[in-house]
Amino acid sequence: MAQPEVPSPEGDAEERRLIDRSASGDQEAFRQLVLRYHRLVINVAFRALGELSLAEDVAQDVFIKVHKALPTYRHDRPFKHWLHRVAANAVTDALRRRRPVVSLDGMEQPPASGVPDPQDVAARHDLQRAVRHAIANLPPHYRDTIALQAFGELSYDEIARALDIPLGTVMSRLNGAKRLLRERLGDLVRSSDDEVEANTA
Amino acid sequence: MLSHATTRDWLIPYADGMLASDERRPIDGHLAGCAACAAELREVRELNLLLVTLPPAPPVAFAPFWLKLQATLPQRRTIKLPTFARYRKLGLAFAVAASAALAAASAALAAPSALPDNPLYPVKQLEESLRVAVTPSSGQLPLKLYLAGERLREAQAMAYDHKPRLAATSLRAFGVIVNDASAALKHADPRAASEDLKRLRADLDAVERANVTRNDDDADIKQVVAADLDEIDRIEQPEAVTPDPTLIIGTQATPQPTPQPTPRPTPRPEPSDDEHHR
Repeated sequence: MAQPEVPSPEGDAEERRLIDRSASGDQEAFRQLVLRYHRLVINVAFRALGELSLAEDVAQDVFIKVHKALPTYRHDRPFKHWLHRVAANAVTDALRRRRPVVSLDGMEQPPASGVPDPQDVAARHDLQRAVRHAIANLPPHYRDTIALQAFGELSYDEIARALDIPLGTVMSRLNGAKRLLRERLGDLVRSSDDEVEANTA
Repeated sequence: MLSHATTRDWLIPYADGMLASDERRPIDGHLAGCAACAAELREVRELNLLLVTLPPAPPVAFAPFWLKLQATLPQRRTIKLPTFARYRKLGLAFAVAASAALAAASAALAAPSALPDNPLYPVKQLEESLRVAVTPSSGQLPLKLYLAGERLREAQAMAYDHKPRLAATSLRAFGVIVNDASAALKHADPRAASEDLKRLRADLDAVERANVTRNDDDADIKQVVAADLDEIDRIEQPEAVTPDPTLIIGTQATPQPTPQPTPRPTPRPEPSDDEHHR
């Protein structure tokens, strides 16, 4: 395997303390936990939904779910992976509930670097929207797995640990998910490829 | 030379950089001479590019985010205490009736989360015994496992709060519950039971760590934790009739004391659900 598993920082005693205190109702401890992880959850939601206000709402839901479920959290897997799983479930649910967006303007933040061509930006946003929509419509086991890769930016190993499944199963699910995505996005993926080639010609 | 089909099966982990160099080499060889697979690899990479370039969120201020969240969190303790005070005035009979109503509703109220140093704790105990009484036999094991976990959560919190005596009491209660559930655990699905016991053992370790890290290192807690671990070991000992070993021996069922290195060769992708899709 080209990327060996890196041991997770499970020995983070301070985080354990925050989790345990939050689970017993200590709101200040929970505030510190949210402070640590709100960026991560908002990023996952924004990548999935492409709209900041919606992403913030979903992130709020994620932390409400986490707060409720903390008493059942066990320290046998890293908190971050558990959180990723809760977040991925919430964002894919939100993505499926969301009706396909017709309007193309002003929904998403432009890329941070350079001054992009407005046409390129619009085309890229269309593609991103199509990708999100295609992910939302995958069968659940494919959707949950690829959401952790595409929205959570987790590695194969981290996905295996978050979902508590073998690495081989992660590979097989990502294989299946990407095959379906390519079939469903086929023209978009190819036309984008052609555009790149046309632009560089 | 790899076949067309095998190459295609491996293109996605290949493009994700998940293969070691000796695994990449035969695929490189095939790709060099196969325009169709090379074109497919370009598509896989284009899709990957789309997936990894979904943009991160612009900066969000924490304070308003937290204030909004805080407003929606349940205020468990402050709301429920006056209710309990009223029950006390009305006497034990009302308290029992109210607890029964609580148990029947299974609502996430104050008592279920109360810790042993909370004045509501007796209500929680009463409610739990009512739940045990009204739960059908099929639900007894999950309930007992839940209650066992609850005792450990209390023990851990008490150990953190320098209350070793209360922690030890919760640990002893844990031992009684586990002992009570031992027969059912031995006859349960071995894999599920093994997972449950593994989780309880991890929770016991957490109590022990709480005991050590809070500088109490209370001998009584240590002793009860050791006794509880022995109890779990006893449950895990196979009896005269050993269940099908394939159900017990496995990465899921047998806790590994140390992390294992990534197995070589690379795990093969399992047959995909849409194996015949293409």
